[in-house]
Amino acid sequence: MTDTPALAVNAVSKRFGGLAVIDNVSFAVPLGARMALIGPNGAGKTTLFNLISGVHPIDSGDIALNGRAIDKMPPRHRVSAGLARSFQNIRLMPHLSVIENIMLGQHTLADSPAALLNPLAWQRNSVWRQRAEESMRNAGIDVDPDAAVTGLPYGVRKKIEVVRALMSCPRLLMLDEPAAGLNPRETAELSTFLKSVGWEGLTLLVVEHDMSFVHDLCDRTVVLNFGRLIYNGPTQGVQDNAQVREAYLGSRRVPTKEAGRVA
Amino acid sequence: MNTLPGLARSRAALSAPAVIAAVIVILVLLGIAIGGQVIARQVVSGLMLGAIYMTVAVAFTLTIGVLNFLNFTIPTLFMLTGMVAWGLVARGYLAFAGGWAWLAGLAAGVTVAVVASLLVERFTFRYMKMKHGDATEHAIPLVSSLGFLLIFENLVLMTMGSDSQRFAVPFKADIHIFGLVIGVPQLASFALTIIVVAGLTFILRSTKIGRALRTIAENPDTASLLGVDVGRVVPIVFILTGLLSGVAGALFTVNYGDVSPFMGDNVGTKAIAAMVLGGIGSIWGAIIGGLVVGLAETLSIQFFGGDSVQITVWGLVLIIIILRPKGLFGAAPIGKGKM
Repeated sequence: MTDTPALAVNAVSKRFGGLAVIDNVSFAVPLGARMALIGPNGAGKTTLFNLISGVHPIDSGDIALNGRAIDKMPPRHRVSAGLARSFQNIRLMPHLSVIENIMLGQHTLADSPAALLNPLAWQRNSVWRQRAEESMRNAGIDVDPDAAVTGLPYGVRKKIEVVRALMSCPRLLMLDEPAAGLNPRETAELSTFLKSVGWEGLTLLVVEHDMSFVHDLCDRTVVLNFGRLIYNGPTQGVQDNAQVREAYLGSRRVPTKEAGRVA
Repeated sequence: MNTLPGLARSRAALSAPAVIAAVIVILVLLGIAIGGQVIARQVVSGLMLGAIYMTVAVAFTLTIGVLNFLNFTIPTLFMLTGMVAWGLVARGYLAFAGGWAWLAGLAAGVTVAVVASLLVERFTFRYMKMKHGDATEHAIPLVSSLGFLLIFENLVLMTMGSDSQRFAVPFKADIHIFGLVIGVPQLASFALTIIVVAGLTFILRSTKIGRALRTIAENPDTASLLGVDVGRVVPIVFILTGLLSGVAGALFTVNYGDVSPFMGDNVGTKAIAAMVLGGIGSIWGAIIGGLVVGLAETLSIQFFGGDSVQITVWGLVLIIIILRPKGLFGAAPIGKGKM
């Protein structure tokens, strides 16, 4: 194997109107790493996720997934290339059942015209359904697979979204604030779960405000502020960095492990 | 946000055919009991007509449910099937097919409807999507589908004339049940519409492509980020639309023996009435709505004369949407921001 990183973001910029939301950002996520992406509100974290997953085109720079340029691809090809993500505001399909939502994550895996019309993919004991139910159980989602997602508790829906993202067997999993809105027990469970799913080569990039979660899960951290990268290094050193402290001082909060959640 | 609610929960949808069957049987029996055979005959022909409205209404509701777009070309697709089939048969192009001429003509008509529908997709929907990133935020697909309606209608008018063409219905056979005379083609048509709509329901509920369609109906952006090929799935909606409208047009042609370049207009407005009555975006709503409108039409003719049809049908629609703005089966009004 070579040192090709799982994700390489190289000199990426994005402007919305006159505002540079992402300004010449470069960093790489090594294969198999669990990296956090933090920064004050409005720093451009979700925008960066959107650029990587293809919601918006980038203005300049390039993005490579496992050494392969993805920045010109439509979003669905990026999924096939091994990218999966969750969303800050849960984006499950409200009229689909729990198992349908999870199986939606498998959509790219068998995508021939025959597979599209094959009703067998829906039978109760098809391999696809079994695989989805197994993933549900592994993640500790203890609800009726055929239940509607709409009425489920927030924490459960959050988990379903993470599992859905995992169903496509991604090489890079991007989670946008997975712990937001979870109680401490659920947060700890999520962290344990994410550490346990790490199959060989699964790389994690996590946007998160909860610093104890970040310390627990991620060994490396990048920090964005006003669309610029101001820190790229071990999570341990992040609160000692002068620039990071300054970025957070506006809100009079410093991301420390003890402070827990910062905003 | 809400779309195709009848399909969201399989348990609720499964009981619907039983409900429909029960309602039909009760209506026919009630008709016989109260009004004797005259009413019963009107109920039967109302249901036959309703089956055609139902198929067209399902085409309307499918496009609105998935793409949030009122496709005005649907009546034209209906008309194209009838006119193409009649044109091919009447001008003797299909003489070689012998007794199969009508079937061949109808198959050709349905094919033309599907191709025309794909053409509309290419030049309204896909064009807007490519150019502006989304299609339904603009009124342009709606307006251009209206344009396509007039263009197709006038193309047919130029090539085949504006006259209404009457001809002897090609398939004729009757069966007698409880003293009622029912045409076999009518019965076969009714069965075929049920099969087509049931097939569509099955595709939507139980296949991967159906799930992709329902996902796009809920949120096309998220669907695309999850790997759904929106560009490949959207034409399928138009193929299904062409197929439904075409089948309805074919059945109308063989059952009523009357085609014209404007034959889609009446059916189109009745189907829209049926869709609104049943609840926009709901397949089961369109099915019930279509049957109700068909019944209302024939019974209105029976009791108040032929000129009363529109008043009865639209009066019924107005009453229902005042009492239940979402229609009989609609779960929520369809708003903006779906695609």
